[in-house]
Amino acid sequence: MGNAYALYTKPDVTPNPENKPSFDPNFGFEGKPRKERVMIATEAEMVSAMLPLEDRDYCAHKLLKYRACRADVFPWLYKCHHDKHEYLTCEYEDYILRMKEFERERRLLERQKRINKKQAASE
Amino acid sequence: MSNLMRSVLTKRIIQNPLLQYIAVRNHWNKDFKPAKYPETEQEKLAAAKKYYLLPEEYKPYANDGLGQGDYPKLDDGLGVENKDSYYPYDFPEHKRNFNEPLSADYNLYSEDRYSQAEKPRYSSIYYLSCFLGVMTFSFLLYGFLEDKKMFRPVLPKQYPGSGEKHYTFD
Repeated sequence: MGNAYALYTKPDVTPNPENKPSFDPNFGFEGKPRKERVMIATEAEMVSAMLPLEDRDYCAHKLLKYRACRADVFPWLYKCHHDKHEYLTCEYEDYILRMKEFERERRLLERQKRINKKQAASE
Repeated sequence: MSNLMRSVLTKRIIQNPLLQYIAVRNHWNKDFKPAKYPETEQEKLAAAKKYYLLPEEYKPYANDGLGQGDYPKLDDGLGVENKDSYYPYDFPEHKRNFNEPLSADYNLYSEDRYSQAEKPRYSSIYYLSCFLGVMTFSFLLYGFLEDKKMFRPVLPKQYPGSGEKHYTFD
């Protein structure tokens, strides 16, 4: 993939996929601040359901609902198709969000570089 | 040998005293034994002639008490398997000609035994350097690419409960 090449050739403007965003999350959203993500499932629920740590994300409540549905209607699992679809859509949107965060980080890095260059030229 | 042939042969040998002599007085184990180690030039010439070898080709085994006597030390070559399959040998099944000198270890080198098929094309040092070259290149490449892993353009997954706030783009 070209991302590895970009990270090697342009490390100053390519975000490292293992690092968290370095800019203020609300930078550029001054008029209308971004909505905070809300965690619906509680810690106790997730512990009780013995949810693996990697599944305890912002979609956990949908996963719990889907699992509960499966437990309730077994063996008629097709009845849970709606919950399953909802959960998978949530995970998909979570991934899209991560992609957007990457792109935002990249563009902000580019902008920072541009500004630094302009400053260096004017000095 | 079929029984018919055997009975005919036996009959012929019994009828003919000369054949009887050859059959009884020859081909004993002692006749196959090599003679004693040749000491003089004369003995060496005689031994070479006995084994159908040129005098300059004849070279006995070391006289170290292993009982090889005057048997010639032949260059074992690559065994029978490597001999030309299309040459019209006297004994094609063994790829051997009549009176052709045999290696003392012939029983090792026949086609159903030890296989020493072909000489390698290049020298061992060449093969070793090829191997080391490929391996060195691979490890250098591995080391160089160690911190250049491929990835998808996404930042780490956001997990709640770590104390930091996450935001949507809405």
